This record gives sequence, C-alpha cells and structure tokens, in this order.
Amino acid sequence: MSRSASGLRAWLLQRLTALYLAGFFIYLILYFHFSPPKDYGAWIAWVDDPLNGVALLLFIATALLHAWVGVRDILFDYVPLFPLRLALLGLVGFALVACGFWSLRIILVPLLVRIW
Amino acid sequence: MKFRVYRYNPETDQNPYMQGFVVEASRGMMLRDALLAIQDQDESFAFRHSCGEGVCGSDGVNVNGVNKLACVTPVAELRETVVVRPLPGRPVIRDLVVDMSQFFTQYKRVEPWLKHRDPLPEQEITQTPEARDKLDGLYECNLCGCCSTACPSFWWNPEKFLGPQALLTACRFLEDSRDQAAEERLDALAGPYKLFRCHSIMNCVEVCPKGLNPTKAIGQIRARMLKGSL
Repeated sequence: MSRSASGLRAWLLQRLTALYLAGFFIYLILYFHFSPPKDYGAWIAWVDDPLNGVALLLFIATALLHAWVGVRDILFDYVPLFPLRLALLGLVGFALVACGFWSLRIILVPLLVRIW
Repeated sequence: MKFRVYRYNPETDQNPYMQGFVVEASRGMMLRDALLAIQDQDESFAFRHSCGEGVCGSDGVNVNGVNKLACVTPVAELRETVVVRPLPGRPVIRDLVVDMSQFFTQYKRVEPWLKHRDPLPEQEITQTPEARDKLDGLYECNLCGCCSTACPSFWWNPEKFLGPQALLTACRFLEDSRDQAAEERLDALAGPYKLFRCHSIMNCVEVCPKGLNPTKAIGQIRARMLKGSL
C-alpha cells in the first residue's frame, strides 16, 4: 500500500477541509451579522454572486468530505465487526452523497428558474 | 490510610472484587510501599514491581482512575480512599498483574533498533550535539505501559493501532541521525490504523510518569510522512 493511502490522505483532507470550513463560517457569521439578506430576492442575489456561489458550493463539498472522514474514523474505532462496518460506511456514504445532491438542487434550481 | 484494591484470582474467584485495606502512611511513602504493606497483610495479593525508583517500569497501575507508576507516586498526593486497579483494557492474570504481551508485540512492530545501511565505521558512529538533542524526550521511555493502556484508540483497536508507546519509539528512531531506514519505517506506518487511529486525545501525555509527550512524537511522524509524500 502506498504511503498516501487512506491514512495520511484522509488525515490531510480532514485538516484542509477544516481550515476552509472555519474560514467560511467566520465569513458567514460576519456577513449575516452586518448585512443580513432582507427577503428571498436578496438571498438569491447573494447566491447569484459568483464568488458567494462558488464559495457556497465549495463549502458543501468540504463539509461532506470532512463529515465522511470523521464518520469513517468513528466507525473504524467503534465498529470492529466488518460486515456491519461496511454496511454503515455504505449507508453514510450514500446519505452524504444524497445530501450533496439535495444541496445542489436547493442552491441551483432557484438560479436556473430565474435565468429561464 | 484507606485503600481499596482490585482482587481477582481466575483459579478461585468467580468474579473480580474490591478489597479494603488500611495502611499506616509514613513520611515519603510511595504507593509501591503501600502495596508492599498490603501484601504483608495478605500475602496472596499480587502485583509487579522491581527497581522501586521509576526505572524498570514494572509497577504501572490505575490509581483513582489514573494510570501511574506506583514506585514514584507519593501516597500523600492521593485522595482517600485510594482505589487501585490494574491497568485498563488488558487481560488480568491475577489482582494487579495484567498480560502486557500485546503492548510488547506493538513495540516490536516498530523494529526498535538502529538500522545502519552504510558499512559500519571502525569506531562508534558519531553524532553532533544538535542531532543528539533531537532524541531528548523520546529515548527516556521505560515501557511501563501507562500511556498505551490509557489510550481509548488503543482500547478499541489494540491489535491494529500501535499505541502511543510504540509510536514514540518509532519517532525516536526516525529522529536518530544514525538511523538510515526512515523511508522503510514511514512505509511501515502507512494505512488508516497503525498511526492514524490517534485522535490527539492526549491521555498518554497526561499519564506518562516520565513526562514524555507521545502526541507530539506522533505529530512529528505525520509531518515527516507529509513531507515525504508531497
């Protein structure tokens, strides 16, 4: 097994995504504290800004990756029974991917509707 | 001074139980002295000990919930009633004596010896004072097992996760300027288990009777791995 296999790579991924998550949360808190969107239109406008939109999509990707490594670690620690662990890993992976597509739908559909 | 000690003799006892003893504390008395006094009262009571001064690492026990080396723990510092149990997570052989073979298996897995590839010099392999300083805080370990048996990751995966003690030793040889097998050592630590089950809980740092820092050593190994793979 190469050295970059799941051990080091997962650990690095979790730390890098943690940095982005921390930075994005600080931005969100400051932004919504100082200029909270007043209505639905303002929300759409906020997401429609390319910088915010890309940052938000990146946030969803990093949050899902971060959650995947974290839950994977918990299952490695506490579920020694292989078939059960595999099933749970599959379930969590499926749920996270589903969350990803659901968020994409929430973010992109209003924008697409507006364009059409 | 009141003590409650864990008793279990698998040959005669159905279940483990706690037994109370009263020991007269004297000035400078260490926990090991108290355990010896308990043994005077009941000679069937078993615990490991040898040098009595924190060098051999034989008398690691769990005192009031914290792993300590009995011979360097003054009883005056302990809250009464002092509850003494075997090191957690290890199979009990009898009373405070536990089976540490898995701990030593993990120690052996990091190949704790110098690997020198070049032809050996006529005399000793020299080291600069700076290179020698890097070993401070790594080489002092006496293998008492207090750290690894206090580590939740080692409790859950003792056969796969090497544990703080073995990883401290791995770092000791990675940092040694005379060792020439760094790549091989790092490759041997790859994968999600051996090294990366450590979640920096730092129980090991808290309990080490020698004041060593396995969590920092684990961080050093990870930094080395990262440097080697980017």
